[in-house]
Amino acid sequence: MRYLLRKLGFYLVALWAALTVNFFVPRLMPGDPVDILLSKLGQRGPVTPEMRASTEALLGTSSGKSLLSQYLEYLGNLAHGDLGVSVTFFPASVSSIIEQTLPWTIGLIGLATVISFLVGVGLGTAAGWKRGSWLDSLIPVTTMFQSVPYFWLALILLFLFGSVWPLFPLNGGYDVYTVEPGWNLDFIGSVLYYGALPALTIILSSVGGWMLGMRNMMVSTLSEDYMVTAEAKGLRPGRIMRRYAARNAILPSVSGFAISLGFVVAGSIVTEAVFSYPGIGSALLQAVGGNDYALMQGIFLVITLSVLGANLLVDLLYSVIDPRTRARA
Amino acid sequence: MSKLKAAVAAAAALTLVVVAGCSGDKSDGGTKGNAGNSSITVFNGSTGTIVENWNPFSPTLLQPTQGLIYETLYWFNFAKESDPTPMLGTAFSWDSAGKVLTITTRDGVKWSDGQPFSAKDVAFTFDLVKRTPAINASGLKLVSSVAKDDKTAVLTFAVPSFTAEAAVIANTPIVAEHVWSKIDDPAKSINPNPVGTGPYQLKTFSAQSYVMEKNPNYWQAGKPQIQNVRYVALATADAATAALTAGQVDWMSAFLPGLEQLLKNQKNLTYVNTPAMTTSIFTCAGAELGCEGPQTDPAVRQAIYYALNRDQLNKLAGGGFAETASPTLLLPERDKKWIADQANATTPGAPDVAKANQVLDAAGWVKGSDGIRAKGGEKLSMTIQTVTGWSDYISLNDAMKQELKEVGIEVKPTQLSWNEWNNNQVQGKFQLSLDSIGLGASTNPYFTYLKYTTVTTAKVGEAAQNSGNYSRYKNPRVDAAIAAATNTNDEAAQKAQYAIIQQEIVKDLPYIPIYVNSMLTEFSTANAVGWPTNENKYALPASWKSWDNGVVLSNLQPAK
Repeated sequence: MRYLLRKLGFYLVALWAALTVNFFVPRLMPGDPVDILLSKLGQRGPVTPEMRASTEALLGTSSGKSLLSQYLEYLGNLAHGDLGVSVTFFPASVSSIIEQTLPWTIGLIGLATVISFLVGVGLGTAAGWKRGSWLDSLIPVTTMFQSVPYFWLALILLFLFGSVWPLFPLNGGYDVYTVEPGWNLDFIGSVLYYGALPALTIILSSVGGWMLGMRNMMVSTLSEDYMVTAEAKGLRPGRIMRRYAARNAILPSVSGFAISLGFVVAGSIVTEAVFSYPGIGSALLQAVGGNDYALMQGIFLVITLSVLGANLLVDLLYSVIDPRTRARA
Repeated sequence: MSKLKAAVAAAAALTLVVVAGCSGDKSDGGTKGNAGNSSITVFNGSTGTIVENWNPFSPTLLQPTQGLIYETLYWFNFAKESDPTPMLGTAFSWDSAGKVLTITTRDGVKWSDGQPFSAKDVAFTFDLVKRTPAINASGLKLVSSVAKDDKTAVLTFAVPSFTAEAAVIANTPIVAEHVWSKIDDPAKSINPNPVGTGPYQLKTFSAQSYVMEKNPNYWQAGKPQIQNVRYVALATADAATAALTAGQVDWMSAFLPGLEQLLKNQKNLTYVNTPAMTTSIFTCAGAELGCEGPQTDPAVRQAIYYALNRDQLNKLAGGGFAETASPTLLLPERDKKWIADQANATTPGAPDVAKANQVLDAAGWVKGSDGIRAKGGEKLSMTIQTVTGWSDYISLNDAMKQELKEVGIEVKPTQLSWNEWNNNQVQGKFQLSLDSIGLGASTNPYFTYLKYTTVTTAKVGEAAQNSGNYSRYKNPRVDAAIAAATNTNDEAAQKAQYAIIQQEIVKDLPYIPIYVNSMLTEFSTANAVGWPTNENKYALPASWKSWDNGVVLSNLQPAK
């Protein structure tokens, strides 16, 4: 119990620190949202002196308030679950933007991460079990994909499979011309089709790490005494591989997996930029472009929560699946 | 890193070539044209997630709100010299003091929900603006707004408001009293079920695309003919190019490098070029207001003006699409009648190095051993800022650096994020900056010349009015002339004042014009015909231009 409380306390402090950084960093950036909005309007039509007052009134930006009182107000609003109003997408609220974009990101990047983990661990298990087989030669190939910068790999695949052989669409989340969003087969099919290439790029670029890690852990697990015991007992090889070897070898990968799940939201920016995908990464880019503090903070909050949450989960889970980590001094 | 960048650029270029290579027969389902179910797709520059907002008073509205759904009393065509076109209004007149504006409204107009439109809606709209400061974007100083009868609305102003005419008649969306009287906060509503008088109404909306459909009650008989207009969001210029050549977009406005090449094999694609914004070097000119650097010396600004080889700049950076600018900062062709001295009508195309050198010599700038001039220990060296990714402006800076070096002026190009660049201009924290002169509320030079007045500026370090006098230029003669022009509706009297301004600014050059930058709009004639052409600029065709969009779309016919 004390272990649990100590952990929770640590995560609360980490959360507070993250929220505070979250508040101050955007405010150190050049430009003020009212200026940016007005200048963007000014490029397309007349902007009068009175427009500044009307825009300030509209956005409710109270430039007179001190930073400290803004900070306290921010923490207070957060406690009420109020993330504020987006400037870029005014008058939409930050929570509605997140609600609208997050499912796309979780669907695409989240699923791709899970798939690449499962595939990587599976292949790694097999490769470690049968060392020296053709599977081993797959490892340099997959690690090469991982070492190539992700956006570069994505651009090449987009170029090859979007333009040269137009198997996949070049951009977007679904076919806006023929399909109506909703829970129908057409829409779901279209979403899967549009998501296939971005998902493939993520899987390709991350599967190597899982595979290599899993293979090497398998190899060291296989030399343990209990493996010899299991073989001596005459257990079936498949059972030994899964229950004795893989189960122990997977431990480091599980923690790695939790951390990478936590970074799903943060890692989506490049993917979404390359494939013009309508997720939270695109929203973050737009927020930064418009000095939209509220939206940036809202998205950073989601990132913070997902990273901290995933870590907390793995901390707690780990003490269950690997009792050694609970050991007291 | 640089290798990587080159490789990415190569891949991107290759994508373009390949995409351009395949002919546009891949037209997507649902965009084929026939009169009954004709449909076109528009890309108006929106990227990422689209958030619903049909409030015509909101600064973040979806652009078709103005022009497709809502209309104004009159409409100005920025593409050529012309009188305002009557829309919901048919006549207007000022009293001699410029305080009372009487508007006659059109008969037989219906709202898209079938209710009749009348002068009462006009009176209600301006009353709403008067009561709600947050939507009074043009700062109208209204005292009252009443409907004398169904066809006459009378607006009364607190001060002479001739110069607000364009904002009143051409920039205020007219809304329905029976709808908006029930909206609690007109500034913050997203107006989810818009009811307007325009040619189109909302059909379906999603975060990635929305469709407008023909308004069956539209007051212009026989218009519009296109049944559905779809708007899409695309992330990058590359994506837009691909969509255009693949037949997935019918109308967009973007500077596409190598446009001629791109469209060569596309029989359905055409473009029109309507330059209207003057690309200029903004200088921080006002030493009195805190500007620092050699550019505060008018002689330096004049020397830059003469030393530029604009023909070469157009070739190198403008793709040959730019048109000649005027040192008066008006458009030589469209605004001919406002340019007092025809000697100031256009900028020279070729450089006059001798003249530039002579100006600098006379002002005491002496060439040093490194070829750069100096005066009193100060080197004639300035930074010029532009935005990362604005490729044509970056090329401009590089080319100007070479050209100016010949007369002993050193400029150092820097690239900043849009936010920082904009912030520098607003705050006056720059020496030279590349930007363009935006569109005013009407084609009257008043809106351009406000940029030279002290009412729209502030000290360095304080925010100047947006699109105002970023240069921190201060000239009492200009201030007086603008004030005088504000108080009259007589064109001849205004011209006389503008002549004074032109005399001053041609000499002082706080904004040094380079050229009138191209404004390229690409069309597909696969689904619709009747687009504006270079010969018939019946509207400013840019797909992002409010109000004009409705006019263009009402004029299209389905392709045979």
